[in-house]
Amino acid sequence: MTETSTPPSQTTKLMTARFGEITIDPDKIITMTTPVPGFPESHQFIMRPHDKESPFIWLQSMDDPELAFIMISPTHLIPAYRPELPPAVMEELQIEEPQQVELMVILTIPDGRLEDMTANLLGPVALNPGKRLAKQVVLDPKIYDSRWQVLIEEDE
Amino acid sequence: MLILARKTGEAIVINDNIKITIIEMKGGQVKLGIEAPLDVTIHREEVLNRIIEENKRATSETIGNLPDLDAFLKRKKAK
Repeated sequence: MTETSTPPSQTTKLMTARFGEITIDPDKIITMTTPVPGFPESHQFIMRPHDKESPFIWLQSMDDPELAFIMISPTHLIPAYRPELPPAVMEELQIEEPQQVELMVILTIPDGRLEDMTANLLGPVALNPGKRLAKQVVLDPKIYDSRWQVLIEEDE
Repeated sequence: MLILARKTGEAIVINDNIKITIIEMKGGQVKLGIEAPLDVTIHREEVLNRIIEENKRATSETIGNLPDLDAFLKRKKAK
């Protein structure tokens, strides 16, 4: 098949509070297997880089224009962070091989002050990129902090 | 709310496949043993509440256009 005969991928418009109207590729929609705690109405999300090549990714709800989280892969912040996910989570996300799962952490930036940024290591978002399924996982609070300070923590 | 009185060693069964046993009661604390299928998620309420609270903070406080976000990461890495 030549490139010219490939039909353009179907796109949809989505109205968002943060980005205005955005064009989305329906093949890139992520479904939460369990709603994000606190937001039971949002089931589908779209991931959108903060900027070209940016490791920061917005998780924008398709069900609530106001709802968007900013996330980053923990490898950029804390490479040693490799929590073990409960088997039930792997099953829910239809993960067959452990290396299929991708982790993101949600960031809180109080009043936009970057130096006060915290990462939620207690509740990472686990993704099955192939199946486009995701779930926020609740880990052990004795080990993981929900407000891990990004800037003052030294890399090991 | 359904309220049941139970003694140590007694249990309740929910939906035929979830069993919660009173293991021990001591000093105002109850130890519960929970037997449930793998796909049943069990959390201490306060831990789930902490996640909810942080999610709400994350969405309400992550404001602005954050133009310096990527530069910030370089700053962090330079440390």
